[in-house]
Amino acid sequence: MAFRRPPAGRDENGFADAALSHIDSLYGTALRLTRRAADAEDLVQDTYLKAFRSSHQFEPGTNLKAWLFTILHNTFRNMRRHDGRNPVDVDSEAVERASDDGPEVQSPEQILSRATLDVDLQAALDALPEAFRQAVWLRDVEELSYAEMAKVLDVPMGTVMSRISRGRRALSEGLQARRAGHGVGLVRKHG
Amino acid sequence: MADDITNCRDLEAHLAPYVDGEAPPATRRAIDAHLDACPPCRDHAETEAAARDLVRSHRDSLAARAPESLRARCREMAQSPIAIDNPQSTIRQSPISNRQSALRRWAPLSLAATLVLAVAGVFLFGLNDRVEALAASLAVDHVKCFKVSDGDRHADAAGAERRWQTDQGWPIVVPETSPAEQLTLVDVRRCFTTDGRSAHMMYRWRGAPLSLYVLPESIGRDRVVDKMGHEAVIWCANSRTYALVTGEGHAGDLAPIVEYMKAHAK
Repeated sequence: MAFRRPPAGRDENGFADAALSHIDSLYGTALRLTRRAADAEDLVQDTYLKAFRSSHQFEPGTNLKAWLFTILHNTFRNMRRHDGRNPVDVDSEAVERASDDGPEVQSPEQILSRATLDVDLQAALDALPEAFRQAVWLRDVEELSYAEMAKVLDVPMGTVMSRISRGRRALSEGLQARRAGHGVGLVRKHG
Repeated sequence: MADDITNCRDLEAHLAPYVDGEAPPATRRAIDAHLDACPPCRDHAETEAAARDLVRSHRDSLAARAPESLRARCREMAQSPIAIDNPQSTIRQSPISNRQSALRRWAPLSLAATLVLAVAGVFLFGLNDRVEALAASLAVDHVKCFKVSDGDRHADAAGAERRWQTDQGWPIVVPETSPAEQLTLVDVRRCFTTDGRSAHMMYRWRGAPLSLYVLPESIGRDRVVDKMGHEAVIWCANSRTYALVTGEGHAGDLAPIVEYMKAHAK
């Protein structure tokens, strides 16, 4: 399919259809980013607006979903800059340092192999510091490559990999804490 | 690439590709060797792998479906050259444009309609307006939240109010436990079915679950709605909407508790 943007006509529709086929992924990701349905809708709508406007910048043959995610994340960063309500864990450097000092996870098999309530997992994911949450989400739910993630998140690939790693472990700790009955993640939010 | 991983810190950057099965063979061998010799790192790797598998196996339930209204708006944008080509006349110019805030005001209700469609499509025919959709959605949430919560808990109203203010950024007044009314506060949580913005106060009243919801905006009318075997008493005050929802066993007998809530939730 050719996505180069012609003056008008069929290819434009082809691009729009292809882009719109990712709307569930974008919305799910937006929900994880904003944690509010109304904000997620705003974010997705803005993303599509920009995507349609700049469809000529999309390189045919590359991953359209990753391209859309890049716009989504850029839009999110801008949105938050103008939005006083959400001073949520943006300090990613602190995040990089934060995770490994928690209590040792004694038995991951034991903790994780039990049937996990979706609710728990969702809540534990939402409780992760943003940088970790995005890394785990894009990698394990949306299956982006490390290189695509580096572009989307605008950080070096080594950082991507280490965030995935730490994010997964922090998630496991968060679940463990949740199981202990208090719903409090071990990795705290930065405010 | 690091063929020799002697230091635990060296491992950090290689662990994700290792667990994902994407590390080059030489690196993989080096990591294997390190993990054999280092139990803490082996724990890390196992924990990471378990979390990875867990998320991946729950992908379907974690995924969300975009609401129909959003889908329609985005599709419309694709077909509207004005929205695409002329940034000055876009469908909306800023996240808080008037049009958007109007849209947003109704979002909880349209979301409620979506949920009802998903959860109990058969009831849709009975939904002749948005208030009924809201009531049905709250009834679903009422059942769901009591199912996953510890019904024997006793929550502290003042503490819940403080937490809500801190976490959500707007104040609520939580009516307290009242032995005289046979009312016990169980929990206060965010209600996801109404856009994640409403407060869901969970009570036991005369031994049965009872919910009081507070929406941070007025829907402009008071109603009593019977939906899905649940009764919802809805009233508006102080630019808020309150909805008291309860299930079986209280039919026609809600007056005293509604009075209590109205008096104490202001």
